[in-house]
Formats: sequence, structure tokens, C-alpha cells
Amino acid sequence: MLQHYQKSDHFLQQVNPTMKLMSLLTVIFYMVLIFDPWTPFLLLVVTIIGISLFGGVPLRFILLILLPFSLFAFSFVWMNVVFPDERGETILFTLFNMPVALENVQTGLSLGLRSLVFVSWSLLFVCTTEPTKFMLSLVQNCKLPPRFGYGMMAAYRFLPLFREELNQVRAAHRIRGLGEPKGLKGKVDETKRYMIPLLASAIRKAERVAIAMESKGFDGSTERSYYRVISWTKKDLIFGFGLFLLYAGLTLGRIFFLQ
Amino acid sequence: MKNSKTLNLREIVVMASIAIVFGVLYLGWIFFGQVVRGVLGPVGWGLITGVWIMAPTMCAYIIQKPGVALAAELIAAVTEILVGSVNAGTVLLLGFTQGLGAEIGLALFLYRNYKLPGLMLAGVLGTFANFMTTYVLYGYSQYSPLVTWLMLGAMMISGAIFAGLGSKKISDALSCTGVLDNFALGKLRRQNQELNKGV
Repeated sequence: MLQHYQKSDHFLQQVNPTMKLMSLLTVIFYMVLIFDPWTPFLLLVVTIIGISLFGGVPLRFILLILLPFSLFAFSFVWMNVVFPDERGETILFTLFNMPVALENVQTGLSLGLRSLVFVSWSLLFVCTTEPTKFMLSLVQNCKLPPRFGYGMMAAYRFLPLFREELNQVRAAHRIRGLGEPKGLKGKVDETKRYMIPLLASAIRKAERVAIAMESKGFDGSTERSYYRVISWTKKDLIFGFGLFLLYAGLTLGRIFFLQ
Repeated sequence: MKNSKTLNLREIVVMASIAIVFGVLYLGWIFFGQVVRGVLGPVGWGLITGVWIMAPTMCAYIIQKPGVALAAELIAAVTEILVGSVNAGTVLLLGFTQGLGAEIGLALFLYRNYKLPGLMLAGVLGTFANFMTTYVLYGYSQYSPLVTWLMLGAMMISGAIFAGLGSKKISDALSCTGVLDNFALGKLRRQNQELNKGV
């Protein structure tokens, strides 16, 4: 599913991964200073529409992923109602002898929506960026030493293997009569049992791959040529300009409507 | 076997693999984590945070070189993004600050002491860094101080137990399997064994 979206050639997929990563970080820093519910709400809506319009990801898919995170977002609302820094003055109603103030609900909503904005922008990045392209961009555009870049990519390729191995270990334990985990404690014990065999085989595999890479002449030096060159294009400029417009619009809106 | 201070390819791939194995194991817990976070709020969440610092303290304990904790946590964050984490932004920031926290804990011992207290300190400072970051990111300044203090306490305990004690136990158990013989921890184990035989 994810790979399908990452590989399509919509606008967002063609923007340089480093650019998208930087925009993600600026969004986080921008949001940190905001405590009203409207700005994050607006940004969230714009982001979701943006991902589906310019990234070709269906709305349903985005909302389905945001759903579990809205539970987390909701925790901010009740935390702010029950344990606020200072209780607001406009009491809406009382719940079990506890006054619920409008101000605290608003702050809670703001923080909850902020967490959803973080998730939606991360989604923008993850849904439109191919892992390999991201890694190559880090090496080529951000001066990450190739040792790290290719090392991580090699380990990343192990992921399906590890999943398979987890299933094997699970099946092996079951056939020896260790049974299904019961309850929380059973699950903790089970995780403990899986840890050592999984890690041991992971370390063995990693060592072998590293030796193979070195024996084929990979020395991790920065002076090397690349089959795929990740360059800066006009699209990055357009993306940056769009982002600037978005920030300018939000800031202006805040000045006119919130004060 | 040369023993330089910089990380070589073998160590980088091993660190990334450890991060990925933890990633695979976390998958079974993410849903549980979200429920805890939604129902119990930040204090309950604080009790679990130490688990996210396990990979860097473990790598630092196994490889025992300066900078390993920070590098391991950054690698863990990037691999999590590669795998497709929907929290990419916060993961990356947290990866940096947590790694830095754990690194400072080990640097205070001048990278000489990799015994339990040092690892626990690294874990505690790692979760402390996590607290500071989430405090700013998710606006914890809006909560009553009581809750934030409780949360910090829960996080630091969790850091000492999971990231300190937990990763040491796992690494020691791993060392017994012999897969770490090419790394600092495995070499130490073999030296100790030979010493014991000599006596």
C-alpha cells in the first residue's frame, strides 16, 4: 500500500526528500508556539487536502491512519480539563463536581490537534518518499557519510527477514508447547523469550553483510559515484514557496482574527 | 582486529539491525502504548518511555566507543522513518535529544565505566531529554505542575529500569551466545573467562 503511494509520480513525490524533511521540522517549530485551537485545525485540514491532492493518497487512507492517533489527541483534552495549569473562568458545566472550563477545553483541543498536525505532516513525508531516495538524499544532499547511509539501508533490507524470523521463533516455541500468551504478563514474558534469538541472528546477519560489503570494495569514502543522483529542481522551489505562503497566510489570519 | 575510536561499517550495520529488531518487537506494543497513552495520560505513558532508549544504551554497552549512544539513537530514528513511522517528525527530534541525553550520561564517566550505574544514568538522562522535548513539543506547560513532576518521575524510573537494567541484562545474555565476540563486550567476557581459568 505505502510503497504504491511512494512510487507514484505526483508532485509531492518529486520534491527532494531533504526539502520535505526540513519542512516537517519547520512545521513542528512553528506549532510549538501556538496554543489556540483554530490554527492547528486549519493547518491539519490544509495538510490532509494537500497530501491527497498533490500526493495522490486517498483521503480514506489518511483518515484511517489518523483515527488511532485521535485517541491520543483526546487524552490532551481531558488532561487539560482535569489537571490544568490554571483553571479557566468560563465554566461550561460541571462533571462529577468538577468544573469544566471553556479555556481548558480549548487549550486541550489545541494541543490535541497539534499532535495530529505532527502526525499528518509525518504522513506527508512517509507516504510520498521512497526509503531509498530518502537515504540517497541524506548522503548526497546532507553530507551524511556513505558508511552510515548504506549501512542503514543494508539493515533496512533485513526488515522482512526479521519479521519472518519472529514468526519462525514463535512457531518453534509453540511446537515445543510454550503455548499462546495469556494476558499482559504472558505477553511480556513472550517478548522476553523472543528478544535473544532475534537479536543474536540479527547481529550475525549484520556482520556477514558488512563483511560482504567490504570485500566488494565498499570503503565508505565520500568520493564515490552514484547511479541515482538526487538533485534540486524547480519543484523544490515551488514547494518551498507554497510552504512560505501557508505560513504567511496562517500568521496573517492569526493577527486579524485572534486578537 | 584494529581498535579505532571511530565506528566502522560492521558496527554501523549491527547498530542499525539492533534498532530494526527493536522496531519489529515494538510493533506488537504500539497499539497497547496508544491505549495507555489515551486512557492513563502522560504519567502512564511515562512509565513506558524507557523502552525507547533501550537500543542506544544497549549499543553503547556492546560497542563501548564514544558517540555510540547518539549515533545509535539517530540510526534508530532514521530506520523508523524508513520503515514508515507515522510519527516521523517527532521521532527524529526525539532521537536526537534522547541520544544526546544518553551520550552525556556515558560521557560523565569518560567512556570508561560501562557498569550498571553508568548505564542507568544514561537511561535516566535519555528519558529526561525525552521529557524536555515532549514538554516543548506537546505543550506540557499547560498542565498543573503536579502532573508534570509525576510524569518526569515516572519517566526517569522507567529510564533506569528499562534502558539501564533491561539493556544490560539483554546484552549480557546475548554475549553468552557468542555473537558479540568481535565487539568490546564479547572481548571483555572472553578476557574474564581466561582470567578465571588462569586462577
